[in-house]
Amino acid sequence: MSAPFQRHRLTPWVLMAPQLGIVLVFFFWPALQAIEQAFYVEDAFGLSREFAGLANFKAVLSDPTYYQALGTTLVFSLAVALGAMSIALLLAVMADRVIRGARVYRTLLVWPYAVAPAVAGVLWLFLFDPTLGLISSLLGNMGIDWDHKLNGAQALALVIMASVWKQMSYNFVFFLAALQALPKSLLEAAAIDRAGPWRRFWTITFPLLSPTSFFLLVMNSVYAFFETFGTIDTVTSGGPGGATTTLVYKVYQDGFVGQDMGSSAAQSVLLMALVGGLTWFQFRYVERKVQY
Amino acid sequence: MATLRLNGIRKRYPNGITALHGIDLSVADGELIVVVGPSGCGKSTLLRTVAGLESISDGELMINEQRVNALEPAERDIAMVFQNYALYPHMSVFENMAYALKNRGTPKDEIRRRVTDTARLLDLAELLDRRPRQLSGGQRQRVAMGRAIVREPQVFLFDEPLSNLDAKLRVQMRLEIRRLQKRLGITSVYVTHDQVEAMTLADRLVVMNGGHVEQCGTPMMLYAQPATRFVASFLGSPAMNFLPLAAHRDAVVLPNGAQVALPDMLSAGRAATLGIRPEHLVEAASQPEAAAVLDVTVEMLEPLGADTLAYTRLPGLDEWLVVRLDGAHAAREGQRLSLAFAMANCHVFDAQGMRVPVSNEASVSLREAQ
Repeated sequence: MSAPFQRHRLTPWVLMAPQLGIVLVFFFWPALQAIEQAFYVEDAFGLSREFAGLANFKAVLSDPTYYQALGTTLVFSLAVALGAMSIALLLAVMADRVIRGARVYRTLLVWPYAVAPAVAGVLWLFLFDPTLGLISSLLGNMGIDWDHKLNGAQALALVIMASVWKQMSYNFVFFLAALQALPKSLLEAAAIDRAGPWRRFWTITFPLLSPTSFFLLVMNSVYAFFETFGTIDTVTSGGPGGATTTLVYKVYQDGFVGQDMGSSAAQSVLLMALVGGLTWFQFRYVERKVQY
Repeated sequence: MATLRLNGIRKRYPNGITALHGIDLSVADGELIVVVGPSGCGKSTLLRTVAGLESISDGELMINEQRVNALEPAERDIAMVFQNYALYPHMSVFENMAYALKNRGTPKDEIRRRVTDTARLLDLAELLDRRPRQLSGGQRQRVAMGRAIVREPQVFLFDEPLSNLDAKLRVQMRLEIRRLQKRLGITSVYVTHDQVEAMTLADRLVVMNGGHVEQCGTPMMLYAQPATRFVASFLGSPAMNFLPLAAHRDAVVLPNGAQVALPDMLSAGRAATLGIRPEHLVEAASQPEAAAVLDVTVEMLEPLGADTLAYTRLPGLDEWLVVRLDGAHAAREGQRLSLAFAMANCHVFDAQGMRVPVSNEASVSLREAQ
């Protein structure tokens, strides 16, 4: 650090204090409490608790519904991250080419991000409602019997669609910005070097977008693991038969509906470790393929 | 091996701006044409229409007498060196150079052979595994050249390829480009705003201004016989001096009142400006036979070593009169100089800036205007 800054050691901390405070109170404190609680068994009324060692973890890891939720989460997260990213990239490439009315398209494509997850969930719920829904009646006309309240695969598809729709806008903004930051002359040089549009995209544009794609992969994984709670809760509430119960939804169900705080805390500790591990993996192995 | 011909090329943008107003140009096989002009004159647009990166609004573009207006850049068999080099940052030097050949489906061993040959030609053999960001500016420039050369294209296009280099490297690369272009004999169009680069590289020079071609010819021809006042002012450093001519009865007068006898033009009254290059103004004492004498005061000196540029004040002229003196000249600021010039070295332009031919009888006399 250069000399003029050394005299102001306190200033950066003061400026960061509000954000650090929020992070500490709403992220680190609950996380620490969850870790603590994971080692205790609490009575149903929350009046007393008893140290239980690893009993909560043992119970969770021997529960078949936990593994079902884990499987659901992996399918769900993969589908949401890949779906939201590929659709967003496609839209961003198309929006990047539009010249007339570009701002209108861009604004409209960003809108879904401004919709609260629960509201978005209700929207999709209405569209696909087995008896009232517009889309489900269209599907019915086409001979597809849509009932996500009974059919687990359909329910999972529905929450995936709703989550993808919501996250797509976020990805779109980043992809569009990255596309617009690409030096135009590179694509012109490629065009002169006899690369057609398709080849230009895969050999020039796509590799040069990799820093953005990697960032979005991390962000979308975290989104799919944690932030889709609101959507799942309003659309399917984890059902039918646990078909859409992801790990984070199970944490909520067991803890706040089932009142099994110890198990819920143990699950959230496992979830934290899982996402932490995944993020580490992404940085360790996927980032190597990123071109800066 | 190709010829390039432009017939009345026009470029109009959808917003109504016309960048090119009908450009006619014919480039012979193996010739290096330099297009030069101030920024915004349309020279880059011209190059981009030849490359196919911009569509042509009107006119015909012929490569080897084949009309290529509607062809994609990829189908025109041209190579272009960009100002920022446009190297693919995620590919090694080898991959950068091999990219076009790969896209054409050239066999792998042939790609390897051609890239290594070109790399040797450009002294890049050691750098083939590097990424562009690990290279210096001059090396990047050479890779950009190599990427164009390795394709053995019909036509080479250069878009200000040296403007991102420092002065010393620029001179070196200028000579290098000249050497390679002559050796490979590839028809080339080179765009620059640097008139020194333009003069030194060109077989023929095209001076553009406001979307028009002002003049086209060999560099020395354009220097000695500029067709317009614009060409006269653009070529040469320091620029040509311009003295406004005022009509006075049956003569024209310089700003300091000296009369110029221009017999064949007096009646027409066309002469508006007299142009004279700094090197054609000499001290009157050294040239007793020179016709005209201008008495000036030195205001500033710029010693360049071999020469010294004197910025002098001529009574009645608002701008400086620049004189190129010998480097050994003992001029001081504030000193008075008597300058002479021969009419044969003068350029006369009319009010529209067009060259007016001057006959041999023209002379400048010292007579004060009445």
